[in-house]
Amino acid sequence: MKGEKLRNLSFFLSPMIIMVGLFYLIPLVFTVYISFTKMRNWNIERYLTEVVGFYNYQRLFHMFQHDPLMRTVLLTTIIFVGITLIINVFGGLLLALGTFFINERSSSAIRLLWLLPRMSPIAVYSLVWYYFFHGSEIGTLNSILMKLGVLSQPIPWGQIVPWGAWSVIIFVNGLVGVSFGMIVFTSALNQIPKELVIAARVDGASAWQISRKILVPMMKWHLLYVLTWQFLSLLTTYPHLFLLVQWDLVSRDYGTTLALYVYNTAFGRGEQDQGLAAAAAVLLSIIGIIGGLVTLKVLQFEKMIHEPRGDIE
Amino acid sequence: MRDVETRPKKGEWIIVFTILFASLPLILGFALLVISSFSRDMVTNLSLSSFRPTIENWINVFQGKLAITGGIRQNILKITLNTLVVALGVSGTVTLISTLAGYSLSRIKFKGRKLMMLLLLMLHAFPGVALIVGVYLLYRLTFPQEPSFVRLYSFFYVILARAALEIPMSVWLMKGFFDTIPWELEWSGIIDGASRIKVWRQIMLPLIKPGILAVALFGFLAGWQDLIYVRTFLIDQTLATFIEANIEAEYSHMPLIAAAGTLYLLPTIIFFLTAQQLLLQSYSGGIKG
Repeated sequence: MKGEKLRNLSFFLSPMIIMVGLFYLIPLVFTVYISFTKMRNWNIERYLTEVVGFYNYQRLFHMFQHDPLMRTVLLTTIIFVGITLIINVFGGLLLALGTFFINERSSSAIRLLWLLPRMSPIAVYSLVWYYFFHGSEIGTLNSILMKLGVLSQPIPWGQIVPWGAWSVIIFVNGLVGVSFGMIVFTSALNQIPKELVIAARVDGASAWQISRKILVPMMKWHLLYVLTWQFLSLLTTYPHLFLLVQWDLVSRDYGTTLALYVYNTAFGRGEQDQGLAAAAAVLLSIIGIIGGLVTLKVLQFEKMIHEPRGDIE
Repeated sequence: MRDVETRPKKGEWIIVFTILFASLPLILGFALLVISSFSRDMVTNLSLSSFRPTIENWINVFQGKLAITGGIRQNILKITLNTLVVALGVSGTVTLISTLAGYSLSRIKFKGRKLMMLLLLMLHAFPGVALIVGVYLLYRLTFPQEPSFVRLYSFFYVILARAALEIPMSVWLMKGFFDTIPWELEWSGIIDGASRIKVWRQIMLPLIKPGILAVALFGFLAGWQDLIYVRTFLIDQTLATFIEANIEAEYSHMPLIAAAGTLYLLPTIIFFLTAQQLLLQSYSGGIKG
């Protein structure tokens, strides 16, 4: 019996375990190892065995203190994560509350529309905003403002540092992240007993009063969940920034967050420095792991996992 | 709906209007891209005079003519096919692995089950940028010596590596689907002497079809939309790297890129129109911001 159970388990679980081992565990060890080598330009033959100890980390911390470019990256990361997080959480909350008070058809259509940024191919999504914020007359924002008479000539929005570039990357990523909060909050709202809302309505409460006094207080747990989870993913996200910087829509210096810096240092154009990139990646992972553990502890995820009830021993 | 009869009709239009107003840049941006692909000049400047309808861009895209004058040709059908191969590969890998693992996590008691599920959740939150450096080193170390094998290997590798990113959440999603199926059906099979593997294949799989469809769909979209993994590992071009490479090139004609972008967006739109309910429901299962 025991042997059979083991055979069953290995049949069901081994593909997943192999994938996790190959593409999470081994790469993680490799990344940590590279951060201790002098790896440059992916010259594996030459640098893979050249271990330099904590040199890359020393260099990284030296750059944090003295390199103006690296300080710009850090500042951009802080501003980007902070403001986008607020937009994501409150945008998601407002959308979920807004669609709660309208009829089913409009609310599905709106939720679907706001899923579009997340679902559409990253290249197309970046293309849409490339045209929207383009620095010439074909840019949509420029032409709207020129038609309104606010501007007399087009402005390269993303090249105005720092706030022009920051606004563009925050806007573009803000729209992607809003749907996460929207979905979590919508499913939370659906679980709130309808009697509470109906009773408040009968007493003459407005949508605003119902939201503030009943709905939002009942979603505290979900707010915390969206806040922490979204913080982690914003800190480490870079695909939606990559093309905006690559296409020079936004300034390279003020459009690069730490995660994008890691990617571009390891795989970007020109001189590549994988040792340094790996060291920065390890720092990001440490923040990520601590954040993840705190999230799991605070939100008590393990309580969500029930034992299978009917299994035959 | 939730707010039933007591909901006043009057306020509803204000809310709808406000949300639509806030969505305006989103609607405008995507609409202008699609319209531009049917015009001689970009209509992103919102002036009617630049809209001169044509399907020339689409013809040129399919013929792979990148510039109006130059002789540069690219086989867009092959590029689209490459994108499709990656998307289908990711979808198949993710579906197979999560259908297997989801069943055992939902149905079989074993030591370390809880830990495994928490670990999966942690992996889901793990920074992808920290992994990709190591994933690339593994790629280089396993790179085949035989030159004729290299391109095939890059497809194989990018599919597995990209699928791995989707696995933690898909396994959770699949486990959730298995949880909803009553035990009685399985017991009858087990009592009749069938093995768990047989029960899984003959009783559970037919019942779990909606779940398989949802996971396959998400896997497909993940592979289809990917830019970073494809540009890092794949030797051949996909639509994502095609757009990336051509936006800056001086010879590229802008409405033509808009047509390529619209082509790239097409499957997403089709899924949106056909599988809305599935998308909205399964998305609440778990996504990454």
